[in-house]
Amino acid sequence: MNRSGRRQTGDGQITPAAALSPHRPSPITHHPVTRSPIVQMRDISKRFGPVLANDRISLDLWPGEVHAVLGENGAGKTTLMNVLAGMYQPDAGTIRIAGEEVQITSPADALRRGIGTVYQHFTLVPNLSILENVVLGAEGGFLVDLGAAEAKVASMLGEFGLDVSPQTEIRHLALGQRQRIEIIKVLFRGTRVLLLDEPTSVLTPGEVTSLLELLRRLRDQGVAVVLITHKLGEALAVSDRVTILRGGRAVGDLGPDVMSGANRESVRQRIVEQMFGGSQPSGSHLPTASAQNRVIPRNEESRLQDVHGGGELRFFAGAQNGMSPAELLSLRGISTSGDRGSPPLHDLSLDLNSGEVFGIAGVDGNGQKELGEVIAGQRPVTSGKILLNGVDITNRGVAVATRLGIGYVTDDRLHEGSVAGSSITDNVALKSIGRKPFSNGFWLNRRAMEEQARRLITEFDVKTPGPDTAIGTLSGGNIQKLLLARELALEPKLLICNKPTTGLDLRTARFVIQSLRDQADAGKVVVLISSELDELLEISDRIGVMYNGQLVAVIPRAAADLETIGNLMLGGTRRPRRVPA
Amino acid sequence: MTAGGIPLAAFITAMLAAGLVAAAPLVLAALGEAVGEKSGLLNLGIEGMMLSGAFFGFYAAYQTGGALWGVLAGIAVGLTLGLLFAVLTVSLRVDQVLVGLAITIFGGGLTAFLYRDIFGGQNPSLSVDTPRIAIPALSGIPILGDAMFNQGLLFYLAFLLVSVFAFLLARTRFGLQVRAVGEHPFAADASGVDVTRTRYLAALIAGAMAGLAGAFLSVADLKIFQVGMTVGTGFIALALTMVGGWNPYRILLASVLFGLLRSLGNGLQILGIDVRTEFITMLPYIGIMVALALLAGRTSLPAALGVPYARGRR
Repeated sequence: MNRSGRRQTGDGQITPAAALSPHRPSPITHHPVTRSPIVQMRDISKRFGPVLANDRISLDLWPGEVHAVLGENGAGKTTLMNVLAGMYQPDAGTIRIAGEEVQITSPADALRRGIGTVYQHFTLVPNLSILENVVLGAEGGFLVDLGAAEAKVASMLGEFGLDVSPQTEIRHLALGQRQRIEIIKVLFRGTRVLLLDEPTSVLTPGEVTSLLELLRRLRDQGVAVVLITHKLGEALAVSDRVTILRGGRAVGDLGPDVMSGANRESVRQRIVEQMFGGSQPSGSHLPTASAQNRVIPRNEESRLQDVHGGGELRFFAGAQNGMSPAELLSLRGISTSGDRGSPPLHDLSLDLNSGEVFGIAGVDGNGQKELGEVIAGQRPVTSGKILLNGVDITNRGVAVATRLGIGYVTDDRLHEGSVAGSSITDNVALKSIGRKPFSNGFWLNRRAMEEQARRLITEFDVKTPGPDTAIGTLSGGNIQKLLLARELALEPKLLICNKPTTGLDLRTARFVIQSLRDQADAGKVVVLISSELDELLEISDRIGVMYNGQLVAVIPRAAADLETIGNLMLGGTRRPRRVPA
Repeated sequence: MTAGGIPLAAFITAMLAAGLVAAAPLVLAALGEAVGEKSGLLNLGIEGMMLSGAFFGFYAAYQTGGALWGVLAGIAVGLTLGLLFAVLTVSLRVDQVLVGLAITIFGGGLTAFLYRDIFGGQNPSLSVDTPRIAIPALSGIPILGDAMFNQGLLFYLAFLLVSVFAFLLARTRFGLQVRAVGEHPFAADASGVDVTRTRYLAALIAGAMAGLAGAFLSVADLKIFQVGMTVGTGFIALALTMVGGWNPYRILLASVLFGLLRSLGNGLQILGIDVRTEFITMLPYIGIMVALALLAGRTSLPAALGVPYARGRR
């Protein structure tokens, strides 16, 4: 079916893109009849420091189609989109628009070429009106012709189901409304290719439904809609085409023939397999984000499983009756208030036993970080109890938690985890700065601090010119080692690590993972929050899956596999391990 | 009725006139500062820019004998320093506070050096012609007329510019871009606004207005230059910008109130009222602090004030 044809034979309804761009018809609006991609990205590569965020990704966008770009956080989705939006310049690769090779030099340039972007973090100025935001950056003369724009914006607001005046300031609008204004804003500029980055992450379920409805409508008007998401359900609900990114590479492409096929379940299975499955496409000579983060070769996994197999059963049994003598920490019905963009924890219960690594899987922003912070005493709970060795430590704060033997390594190494501009020595001593041997209560003992720093640098093989170096100048892996070293030096009974291997090279990642396993083997509890399922499967005794602020499943290692966990992470239900033919 | 031997009406007229003339350079400098701050640039160099405008304006007028040349020189030096500020803070992303203070100190030192070097021990005054222009009919209004409508050209310009700046910020494309860039530069960039260009223009406007304000002091008002003659006027303008909430009309109101308080102080001294002069001269400054304290928490600074912007950083 030639969807793009609808645009011209439509029922006379205004197509925002065509009607609202009177001054400057986009060059690409002249080609809707020919059935060819409107945008062709070829072998796009983009590197940030050591991480290859996009590794030769190719992508075609067609008019009149919704194209979902699926992938986990860090898969390279946002980078790819920013390349097309003119925010980043690719290191290699070409972009063609309507067949013509172009350099997209800036966001303004992208808009001129008919590519409009709705960013995950909205780009509306809160204290300007809807109208002012919509015309901001649009071309024109010395004066802003708000009068002429107002009628158009008002009619678009109506068309988009927004019952507000164009004069309303953005700060008075709800998030779902703001998002529609974002879409209106780019359509007003004559957008033919609409990019949306995780558009549903800030929406309520009702708002999600109506957004998807809106996207279908825009598609039917001939717009090429790109939906960047990690939520499989949404992608399945509206997409004509799906591209799956993983570790900076495009690992799968499903066309309209597959997507419109009757068997949704097999499509779903295929996508889950491609997002999380073990078979990585080979052939790259470049290190990718994924390759760096991948810790274990698949064939080692079964061996490790054997090694820890006995333990799992024991711990699992202990957790079930809740009376195990080895039980160290117990969360009983924990709820929190949520931050924007991530759900609050709701009535979450969990028991952790000495000697185990408890892995926490989940797509970013489903409450894993919050759970880690709750255990660390860093985030207050609104209801529920936290017991450490039977002692109530609910809402007692970080200092108490630290003193009682709970350590926490954040995923935000540079901001939360360290004082980037201060020396290694100061950072290493920071968490115990008021205590011996670093201080007698008033004076700092700089020599003891420096000795400690030197000791940890040697022990953890940190690459640095010396302990006086500012920690922020080190590589991510070396900072990670130091943060881990700092916690371990406090000899915690329980250690929480949030994504400890993100951005690390293979060797360092291995080192970190091995250190964590060693801790558990020495009788400590390790809570490992990670988006790398491979590493969770490698060292966890049990794996909890979080979705939407809840611990939806706790699976002993022996019963866990990538597909089951991947499915649960995406809000699916647990299914028996049966591979469809 | 008389006041201290002067007819009361004449006394009030003189006080009003003095207050308005004192307000004019504040209005000029604060309007420019408002545009700068709205774009996200906090220009603490305003004092040095005013002083430089005052000196180079004075020098040009002294050499040419023409007030217009003095005014143009003041604007030119303001533009130059505004450009310097923009290069350092926008392009090189040096801390705005440091750059601003450096320009203030630099302006003070440079003008003191040049003035002493060029004029030696003399303190010449300008013999340029800055005629008062009486506006027909309006200047005949009792008491107010002579104070408001019988003044020099630059005086009128200062107050006229209030409306121009209000229009510029509220109704023009440039004004909209300035407001967006100072509030949410990423949003502006994503919408196709050239953040760098907008901030450069805003810095140039702020510089030109500060230079003009300085030239007003030395060329139009006092007709002399003194080392450090601005005595903090630039910083007062900075405070008035905030008191006025970056709104040109409110800035005008705040500046006129400040000017009137200052002339009231002088008036009280002339009247021979027995108050320590130090206290009287403190009055307007105390007024500013009270105003700032009252407004604290109610004004919202442009969100990106003082924050450099770089696209694609991560």
